[in-house]
Order: sequence, then structure tokens, then C-alpha cells
Amino acid sequence: MTSHLAGVDAVLSVRNLTVTFGSFTAVDSISFDLHPGRTLAVVGESGSGKSVTALSIMRLVELGSRGRITGGEILFRSPDGSVIDLVRTEEEEMRHIRGNQISMIFQEPLTSLNPVYTVGNQVAEAVMLHQGLDADAARKRAVEMFELVRIPNPNERLDQYPHEMSGGMRQRVMIAMALSCDPTVLIADEPTTALDVTIQAQILGLMRDLQDETGASVIMITHDMGVVAEVADEVVVMNRSKVVETGTVYEIFENPAQEYTRSLLAAVPRLGSMSGTAAPARFDLVGVSDDSGSAGQGLS
Amino acid sequence: MASVQDAEVLVGPLGALAPADSEIAGPPGRQALRMFLRNRAAVFGVILFVAVLLMTIFGPMFYDNDASDIVARPVLAPGADGAPPLGTDYLGRDVLAGVISGGRVSLLVAAMAALMVVFIGVTIGATAGYYGGWVDTVLMRFTEFFQVLPALLFAMVIVALFTPSIATISVAIGLVAWPSIARLTRAEFLRLKNLEYVKAARAIGAGDWSIMSRVIFPNALPPLIVSASLLMGAALLFEAGLAFLGLSDPNTLSWGLMIGLNRANFLSAWWSVTFPGLAIFVTVLSFSLIGDGLQDAFNPKLRGR
Repeated sequence: MTSHLAGVDAVLSVRNLTVTFGSFTAVDSISFDLHPGRTLAVVGESGSGKSVTALSIMRLVELGSRGRITGGEILFRSPDGSVIDLVRTEEEEMRHIRGNQISMIFQEPLTSLNPVYTVGNQVAEAVMLHQGLDADAARKRAVEMFELVRIPNPNERLDQYPHEMSGGMRQRVMIAMALSCDPTVLIADEPTTALDVTIQAQILGLMRDLQDETGASVIMITHDMGVVAEVADEVVVMNRSKVVETGTVYEIFENPAQEYTRSLLAAVPRLGSMSGTAAPARFDLVGVSDDSGSAGQGLS
Repeated sequence: MASVQDAEVLVGPLGALAPADSEIAGPPGRQALRMFLRNRAAVFGVILFVAVLLMTIFGPMFYDNDASDIVARPVLAPGADGAPPLGTDYLGRDVLAGVISGGRVSLLVAAMAALMVVFIGVTIGATAGYYGGWVDTVLMRFTEFFQVLPALLFAMVIVALFTPSIATISVAIGLVAWPSIARLTRAEFLRLKNLEYVKAARAIGAGDWSIMSRVIFPNALPPLIVSASLLMGAALLFEAGLAFLGLSDPNTLSWGLMIGLNRANFLSAWWSVTFPGLAIFVTVLSFSLIGDGLQDAFNPKLRGR
């Protein structure tokens, strides 16, 4: 079982993962590898199964939503070199892995911080949980993390409550929390979707810098091809619970093999592409019809 | 004050937002406290409650008649010659001394019963709401079973089965009153457990217990605090009802027991029933005002309803 990863250098390898919600298959036998220090973008439209994939890797998919991992394996190489299958790992051990070796940033920075605690408290909590530091040392670590994610005046910011911070600052806090235990893998589930464009660029730039500094491998879940072009090394394109195409970011952008990938790329408006037409023009939906052949042809 | 007005001038139509923003600075609890202190009825409730509390705690230091001693002729009206301030009852016992020492018992029972209710209700409600599924189903059917039992009868049975004492009465009230708190807690846990920050807490590796106690519970507190304060009033009334019916320790005088003992002489000695009744009224009123004030403070959207 562990022989899969022996030859490959991947830190995380998803093999034939299938996740169901009742009779609905949300993720259908998908496979991909995440290589150390690289960024893998999982792209697809809403409902294509990207977030479920992320939650499955964290083993959070069973939580509240009755999802079940019904097949496949998620092989993870922990820092000590041993390889474990996260699908078959006990909850007790998963708790040790979550936040410590694999951590996650959520889509909504506005709601992913607990309103009743200060942000510093919440970052320190993560450190105390995994590294057994006392309150003073944890606070010191939280200040370091705030400096790392470029939050100005970290000492004062630490004692603020989430509602006293802007969306961009809160997402920085989330990133600080996620990185506070030096995880091997960072999963970012649409980390910039809820932010405005200028802040998006800042956060993406920050994440790229942090990846260089910490050497973490990143799985970036997104529906935004612009984000993919900016941060990804490899790309996995998902549609209707399946992986339709996998490749490096150059292959995907230069020479997309699948019709669906082409239509996704075509859905990004280009500057000047509308010249001569009376704006606003109506765009056709991507991938609505059942036969993939006709999907997205409306734009060409 | 001047700075707030300046801000209004500067930002024009948005000015209304500026002072509001500065008010919500600080932790959510402090903000609620500020709202609470601005509510006159609630502050009045606190004053009433503190007055009752001071009377029962420090009263005996200043007024040393024992509630069970016969101090004068029976049925002396307040103000009559040689009568204590609030008169004497049908045995010649001091009514004021009874109100003071009875208050200790009444408040103690109310507080213990409320604690008991919150403890049982929160434990069962939190477990049901957090785990869901069959745990929820079993615990909620169990809760409903207690909810459909006639409260007064059930409490009377419990008190009658064991020796009536402060402890058994508190437990009896606790056992009949917890379902509403359990349902409230369950609802809050159901609402909160799917929020992003609970998911985020799990994603940093927090376990069930730490998520329930440190992440969800503090956020579920406001409605629980409101209910608990209203519950104190209800428990006090319930204790008075049981004591009135004779289901209390006959050796520990409470307000309800005083009313129960003197009810036959209500027309000839109105003071022996009225003053303990007034004490109950004032105390329950204070709990209600405090509860309503807390409700408004924690949930500003409900104001004006």
C-alpha cells in the first residue's frame, strides 16, 4: 500500500478518491500528486467537487454534512519520512496531523475567526495545541507569525477582536494560524474569493512569498484561472466530480487537451476582446449541457 | 461628545455610522454590558436585586429577632403598640425577621435550582446538538419525556419521596425545569457547529471537547444567560408554590412557607401574608427586568418589540 510513494517524491498523493453524499457522488475516483514545495491548483466551477476534495484530505468531510469517503486512498508523507494513508487514519491521529502537518485556509475570512476571542489568542491556541508551548511562548510565536504575514504593529493587532480587522487582515491572521506549526501541506480553499481585487493580489503575493520562505507545498482550490496563472505549478481541472485534465500550468494554458479546459480558459475575459461590440454582452454558461462536446462553444 | 458631533459634520450622511463604530470596539461582552447599563429598567432590576440580596445577607446583623421566636402577642398589626415593624403573625412571630431569613432560603433554592437546570440542560442540549444523529434523537426524546410531565405534580412526587429540604427542593425544581434550557442549548449548538470558525478550529486540530467548551459554548452563552436569569425568577416562584402547598422543610422558613402558614389568617392579619408576597414579587420582578435587559443587550435586533 505504501509502495506508491516510495518511488515518487510526492508529499501527498490522492489515489482514486471517491466521496459520496448519500447516493450522490461528489468526488468520483480522482487522482493527483502534490510535489514538495510546489503549488497545485485544483480548478473547476461550483459543485465540481474541489472543496469536497480539500475537506477529504483534512478528513473533515464527514463533519456535519454526512459525506463519506467510500474509496481510494490519500497517501501523505509526514516530515519523518513515513507514509500514511489519511483515509484509514484514526481520528485521534488525524487531530495531531490537522493544523500541525496539514493545515487549511478557508474561503471566508470574515467568518472563520471566532468572534469571542482575540486574534492573537486564536493563533496562540493552535501553537499551544500542537507544540505544547506555554501561554507566553505561544504569544511570542503569534507575534512572529503576524510579522511573517506582514501584519503591521503585531503586538497591538494581537489583542484585537476579529470584528476590529478588515477582511484582508483577517485572511492574514488565518494564514498565520495555518502556518504557525510549520505544516508540510497547506490547503487554501478559495482564499481570495471573498476579498476585493487589490487585496486578492496582496494575499496571493504573500502566499507565494511564504511558500518560498517556509517550503510548504500548497493545494490551491479556486475557480479563477487568473489565480491559477499567478500561483500554480501544476493544475488539476475538475468537472462534475471528475478530474478532466492534469498538467503543468504551461501545458494547461498553452495547450489544453480537453474541450472543458478550453472553455474554462475562454471564460476569462481578455482586455480588448469585446472591442467593437456593444457592451454588456451576454456570456454563455460553461459546461451546462450534458455532452461535454458542446460545452462552452458559445464563446468562440 | 464634541468629537462625535465633529465627525457627524465631517462625514455627513455616514456620520451615523461613526459613533456606532466606535461603540462596538472592544470585546462583544463589554459592548453588551454598555447596552445593559444604558437600559434603565434593567439597572432598576439590578438595584432591586442587590437590595434584596443585601437585606437577606446583612439583615440579621442589624435586626436580631429570630424568625422562629415568639416576640410579641399574636396578630399585632404593623405600627401597633409594642409590635415589630411589620407586625406579628398568628403565633406572635416577627414578620420582618421571617422575611429576612426566609429570603435566604428562597434565594438559595432559586440559585441552586437554576444552577442545576443549567448544568443538566447545557450538558444534554450541547451533546445532542453537537453530535446530532442518533445521539440527538435519543436525547431529545428523553427531553420531551420530561417536558410533558406535569411539572408541579412531578416536583411534588420527588419532594414527597425524599425528605423535604433545601437540597431536595432544588433538585426537584432542577429536574422539572431543564428541558427548555436543553432545547435552547441544542438549537444554539446546531446553529453554531456548522459555522466556518468551528470548521477552522477543527482544521487546526482541536478535539470535540475543546470545540464544544471553548469554541461553541462561549458563542452560545448570551441566550443561556438570559434564560438563566429568567429561570431564577421562575424557580423562586416554583419554590414558593411548593412551600405554600406544605412541601418544604417545615423547619426552614421561606417566603412561600410564610404565606402558606398564614393563609388562614389572611383577612385578620393581612401583613403576615402581604410582606412575604411582596418580597417574592420584588425579587421575581428584578430577575425579569435583568433578564429582559440582558436579552436586549445581547440581541439589539429585538429592541422595541
